[in-house]
Amino acid sequence: MNILPLFLLIIPTLALVAIVLRTCPKTAATVAATANFFLSAVLFYLYCQMGPAPFDFNLPWASFPGLPTIHLHFGLDGLNLPLIVLATTVSLAAILVSPADCKRKEEFFAYLLIMSLGGIGAFLSFDLFFFYIFHEFALIPTFLLIGIWGPQNRAYAAFQITLYLMIGSLVLLAGLILLVLSVPEAARTWDMIALQKAIAESLSNAATAGNTSAMIALSYPFLLIGFGTLVSLFPFHSWAPAGYAAAPPGAAMLHAGVLKKFGLYGLLRIALPLVHAPGTQMEPTWAAWVAAWQYLLLLLLLGNVLYIGFVTMAQKELQTMLGFSSVMHMGYAFLGLAAYSEIGFAGVVLMMVAHGLSAALLFGLAGEIQQRTGENRMDKLGGLASSAPILATFFLIGSMASIGLPGLANFAGELLIFMAGFKTYPSITFFAIWGVVIGGVYQLRAVASIFYGPAPEGLGEVKDLTMAARIPYLILIAALFLFGLAPQLLLQIVQPSLSKLFGGA
Amino acid sequence: MPYLAPEIILTALAIVLLLLEAYGAISARSVGIWSLVGIAVAIVVTLFTEVGAEPMYFWTDPNAAEGTAGKGLYMWDATARFYKLFFLGTTGLVIWMSMESAAQPVGPKTQPIRAEFYILPLFVAAGMCLLASAADFMVLFVSLELVTITFYILVAYQRESATALEAGVKYLILGGLATAFLVMGIAYVAGFAGTTSFAGIIAKYNTPDHLPVAVALGLLMILVGFGFKIASVPFHLWAPDVYQGAPTPITAFLSVGSKAAGFIVLVRVLNEAFGPTAYATWGPALTAIAGCSLVLGNFAAMHQRNIKRMLAYSGVGHSGFILMAVLSGGVPDGPGIAQAGMTAVAVYLATYFLASLTAFLVITIVSPTPEEESIRSYNGLWQRSPLLAAALAASLISLAGIPPFAGFVGKLGAFVVALQFHHYGLFFIAAISAVAGLYYYLGVVKAMFWSEPLEVTPIQVSVPTQVLLTILIFLLIATGLCMEVFAWLVR
Repeated sequence: MNILPLFLLIIPTLALVAIVLRTCPKTAATVAATANFFLSAVLFYLYCQMGPAPFDFNLPWASFPGLPTIHLHFGLDGLNLPLIVLATTVSLAAILVSPADCKRKEEFFAYLLIMSLGGIGAFLSFDLFFFYIFHEFALIPTFLLIGIWGPQNRAYAAFQITLYLMIGSLVLLAGLILLVLSVPEAARTWDMIALQKAIAESLSNAATAGNTSAMIALSYPFLLIGFGTLVSLFPFHSWAPAGYAAAPPGAAMLHAGVLKKFGLYGLLRIALPLVHAPGTQMEPTWAAWVAAWQYLLLLLLLGNVLYIGFVTMAQKELQTMLGFSSVMHMGYAFLGLAAYSEIGFAGVVLMMVAHGLSAALLFGLAGEIQQRTGENRMDKLGGLASSAPILATFFLIGSMASIGLPGLANFAGELLIFMAGFKTYPSITFFAIWGVVIGGVYQLRAVASIFYGPAPEGLGEVKDLTMAARIPYLILIAALFLFGLAPQLLLQIVQPSLSKLFGGA
Repeated sequence: MPYLAPEIILTALAIVLLLLEAYGAISARSVGIWSLVGIAVAIVVTLFTEVGAEPMYFWTDPNAAEGTAGKGLYMWDATARFYKLFFLGTTGLVIWMSMESAAQPVGPKTQPIRAEFYILPLFVAAGMCLLASAADFMVLFVSLELVTITFYILVAYQRESATALEAGVKYLILGGLATAFLVMGIAYVAGFAGTTSFAGIIAKYNTPDHLPVAVALGLLMILVGFGFKIASVPFHLWAPDVYQGAPTPITAFLSVGSKAAGFIVLVRVLNEAFGPTAYATWGPALTAIAGCSLVLGNFAAMHQRNIKRMLAYSGVGHSGFILMAVLSGGVPDGPGIAQAGMTAVAVYLATYFLASLTAFLVITIVSPTPEEESIRSYNGLWQRSPLLAAALAASLISLAGIPPFAGFVGKLGAFVVALQFHHYGLFFIAAISAVAGLYYYLGVVKAMFWSEPLEVTPIQVSVPTQVLLTILIFLLIATGLCMEVFAWLVR
């Protein structure tokens, strides 16, 4: 049983081998992604029945002089399972929307599979080493996907996103190394859970508490900015809109939907629980240092919500607008994290899933629109609803989800986040909540300008989505409704893990 | 005596091959093959020679002073074995590259590859293997000169071409200058210590006091000499021109073998001849050198159009990364360099060996003439030969330090050491430089994968080289994921 999660990684690898052996690339990728999708559903079901224990796979991997032993430690718990479901769902949709006969199709689908593999592997790993390197897997494929298949401005955007994410990753790496080094040599480990315990122990031991709290406090800004850059925390966000606008739809869906959540997951799982380690106390000076960074985070998240919100309103190109909008929504997630409560964290997990699904849906549909009209400027589009009603309906549903309408998954996440936020930081939340209005303005304006009103001159008949092309979007929409109408489905597995994280029973 | 086997095998083989070739009894190609066989034998013997827990010494001094008894001129330990294997592997791949470039069509001004082009690297390898075991400044100097002087010949091998001559002259003059510094430094240190043996020097100066000024000055001069070998700023000025002008296999040899030779003697001297107190002297100096190498190497490489020049500057940057790992000293009562640092240096060099030699092997095939060394010539290489493009991409991405390729493990080790020994400023510089590095490596990847090719003729690669390239790509990924193999090599 404990090797079952491993198949989430083995299946895409087999598909890669199949592509190398000249199977039809889209077929191989689709089969693998479908298998993964169902496997994650089965895992979800089994997890609800049996809890986390049967899925723990732990294998000593490599020891390396001077470093703690690296373990191949994969497992499931309430925090990563929702993200794994998200990753497999979005991967399937991203592969389905990609055209089977694009140029150099073998490479295209291979890179998509590697991206998906990286995302799933990072969420599955409980070992910091593999957690980090799986995320890095996606870096070069993203570069190539944008560079070779990007619709516009590809060279600049490809370099920008890759170099930016590399800086973020290196800052993050420094933070992770400092964390590992923060405990006495005998207790050092790469294992997230064991490390958390070791740090708590070291903090409660008078002899080592000083050094450990200094190292953790020192690592906190690195983790915050490192993970923050990967989630496009203001002002480290500029890679996201440009990169997503220049990426082929499949890559944008995977990156915005799945890989961007890596940073939030890391903050939720590693950075914040450590500086707030339950039942322990950091030395006062270092606690003050951490608190100072906490306030900075609060200011930056307002930048995400309000400043980027207004920037989003000013966008003229659809994909760039969606890119900025996804940056803006990360502000809510940061608010939920900063609030540091069970409710807030549960909201963040819900919101990660919801935003991943809705962002993937919107980026996919934006790709369809551009492919059909050859146009991505919103003022040059119009009236598409009459010729492509299904496309318009899907886009409207995605927009509603993105705005946070009840019934769709985003609402539940945002609600919990704002509740938690009001409890801890009422004034900041008061400002942040205006983001919902801003989001409504730009998202509805986009819908109106693309799908309603008179069609501009020269915009020919637009074909609607064919039956087959609707499948990926229907999957995403179904998931949005499912988790929107029954958030309990996720919360029931998230909550026990969160209470463990917060030091409860 | 198996402990000296590689040196003896290589020297004997080289002399026999020279004689055979002089009397015309053997073709150049068979000389190449015999050289490879000799290296393979040396590798096997070295691999199966036992390593004790404590270093073994040979040619001990019967009249040794108190505290240095039992220490001799030549030492054998895990470090020596690792670096010997490293140098033998490098030489083998370099000879393979030479045979590959001998198969390329000859331009009007290019010399055909003759037998000595395979024989001279054997002498270099023998010298480098000796360096890995040197426990005395006399042995160190003589073997370093064996390496350097042979390189003077190899660098200027294409003597009809102006760039090669320029490279030869630059390497000769600046190399001579570096040697002069080294000799001067050794003279100061040995003059004050009264001995040239590492054990004698450390016995005299491993006290809590600072080093005497003259000895400190001598140590700094020795560092200048080594700084030239490892091509670190400000002693890197020769590297771009020499790398560009030398035949590509020799460039590879310089960039991997010669650099590693510089590092092994550097860590040996800092570890065996000077103790933790000397850190006050060399620590600040090497910190400055490392920082400058990182910044200058990586940022200068961003603007290069010639791929060998680009790799020269990037090699300067890599020296900076490795120096970061060397800087793990100054712990009272510890060794000159901490074990973690020694391991990190070795692992970084091992990953650099794989990536760099793969890259140069591809360059040997794709750029037979100097005109084809521009990065533009790599445009669309993916269409012309997927294997070559994949190999070059894998090696460059590994050099950039991105997982799952081996280079990440090397960088991780260096970063851990830097943070462990509180070199936060240096770490910051290194991180920025690594991103700059990614930029120019990706520039080549972009040329190979997106840009329209200048010509579309497919490039033919011989079957053995195809196999070798596949193995190298596999190793780049496999050692990046299973880094246990490095632990096994340096244990």
